[in-house]
Amino acid sequence: MAGAKKAAALSPAVRKLAALPILVVIATKRNDGAVQLNPVWFELKDGFVWLNSNTNRTWPKNLQRDRELTMLLVDPKVPDRYAQIRGRLVSLIPDPKHEFIDRLSDRYTGKKFRELEPSEHRVTLKIQPVAVTGALIE
Amino acid sequence: MAVELSPKMQAFTQEVFPAIIGTNRKDGSVEIVPVWFEQKDGAFWINGGTNRGWFKHLERDPRITLLLIDPKEMFRWAQVEGRMVNWAEDPGGEHINQLSHRYLKKDYQGPRTGRIKIQIEPLRVTGAIDGRR
Repeated sequence: MAGAKKAAALSPAVRKLAALPILVVIATKRNDGAVQLNPVWFELKDGFVWLNSNTNRTWPKNLQRDRELTMLLVDPKVPDRYAQIRGRLVSLIPDPKHEFIDRLSDRYTGKKFRELEPSEHRVTLKIQPVAVTGALIE
Repeated sequence: MAVELSPKMQAFTQEVFPAIIGTNRKDGSVEIVPVWFEQKDGAFWINGGTNRGWFKHLERDPRITLLLIDPKEMFRWAQVEGRMVNWAEDPGGEHINQLSHRYLKKDYQGPRTGRIKIQIEPLRVTGAIDGRR
């Protein structure tokens, strides 16, 4: 599907927005093609978008099936300013010591992540941005 | 079958923030954009032009997902999966003007011609407002 797509560079305006502790809204597709939207924690680093999830959630399963997602960042002060970023899953990295989710938690709450449930397995998802559209393009 | 909104959802949808809508592009990818909305009598209404990408997607595939999220407290959110059940012209931009008053407390400043209003029936509600993920 997205195999041949090249990486997209993010503009300074998008990077500035991504540095704020706002959530990114991600769109994945269910089995039947219906759109699933979830607000999630993220970090933009080294040109990639990094997400983390519990492996039991639906959206990482959708993403592993399609390898593609769409992300939306909205300026919390001006909702008309947004960036829509299409991305591709490049790798799935187990987070057994929950180091990455602790770091994300620190970015949003200033604290380590809560205690994990016994059946909870965390995984980090590395996303390559492939196209950016919206009102934040420079 | 349309679902009935819970009292909590009824209250949440009266709050003023844009809805983030997801529609299916022809190539299978998803488009997401923020739009003004209102909820009335259990249905969601949005406004646009027939040239908008998301409207073209809806004509082909009427499924639409709305994410409602409080921008000040982003853990307050709800996901509404629905479908476009109807659309109509918005003569004189009466509906967009009504939305403008909901969001900006003033008359709509943009062009009022060529606008349409879209009715969305909710089929499934999930998220933190109703306590269901």
